[in-house]
Amino acid sequence: MANRRVVSMVFFLIAAAVIAQAGEKNAPPSQKIPKGAKVFVAPIAQGFDSFLKDAIAKKKVPVEITTNRDQADYEITGTAETQKASTAKILIMGNWHSREEASITLSNIKSGEVVWAYSVHQEASTHGKRSSAESCAKHLKDAIEGQ
Amino acid sequence: MQNVAPKSLFLAALILSVATYPQSARSQETNSAQDQSKPGSETKPASNEPAKEVPPDLKQASSDEGKLATVNNAKIPSYSKVYVAPMIGGFENYIIAGLRNKKVPLTVVMDRSKAEYEISGVSESEKAGWAKMLFIGVQNSNEEASIKIAHLKTGAVIFGYSVHKTNSMRGRQSAGEACAKHIKQIVIE
Repeated sequence: MANRRVVSMVFFLIAAAVIAQAGEKNAPPSQKIPKGAKVFVAPIAQGFDSFLKDAIAKKKVPVEITTNRDQADYEITGTAETQKASTAKILIMGNWHSREEASITLSNIKSGEVVWAYSVHQEASTHGKRSSAESCAKHLKDAIEGQ
Repeated sequence: MQNVAPKSLFLAALILSVATYPQSARSQETNSAQDQSKPGSETKPASNEPAKEVPPDLKQASSDEGKLATVNNAKIPSYSKVYVAPMIGGFENYIIAGLRNKKVPLTVVMDRSKAEYEISGVSESEKAGWAKMLFIGVQNSNEEASIKIAHLKTGAVIFGYSVHKTNSMRGRQSAGEACAKHIKQIVIE
């Protein structure tokens, strides 16, 4: 009877350890972006990184932009595409604004985990890349302050 | 002079019918194309082409816009580390943004060696031409994307999904979110 108890106890302990280990392995990542974190903006197609840096400053996003990746805690990578209004779009649709698409990813350099991502699509962007960059910056600010 | 009037009328009617070619008809065409993927409706191979054998463990299920394939009802444990391989036109960024937007419980990593699963695929974007703008009055692009998820240790492809969006309102963002939405279906929460 005592042996049975000991065996069941050992079995229970092993099961608990296995479950704990499994839970530890697949634990949700820390999604917090601390205020004042050093962020490196990697080069993005069509010079979108410059627009993004300006937008981060303009929207007062609480991060510090650094030009040296080694000093940074986080890195912003992404892609952007601008399509100028074609003659057909101007004549037929009566719309001369450009079509903007951008998608950015903020990743923790040390852990390599993506902590935040955002994509924007503007069919008729009034201010071109500036609008999409400011949209990205605005949502990044919301992500940092809304934690 | 009397012959000219019916001719011009016929010409006008022809132009009108082309211009007002309904979008519903186009969607029906798309739906019929999707119906071909349904398990019930098998397509006959062309006489010249050899019949392709479908792997027995691959299950297909058509969704609203795309095709979904899961292998042996494979599931991904929540917060598994996933690496999204670079794709044409930076589509991987849209998938990552889609995963976040759709709140898919996965951890995306930038280093492939740290990952357990890999998402790879292709995408294509077709911008609206002048004819589309003139006859249909639509300036949205057509989007196509196809992704697969492979287990890095075993190399087995456990999930595949392809999406086609005619007149995508939000371009590649829509396609990326569609992929993410369907990835969520195979993640154990």
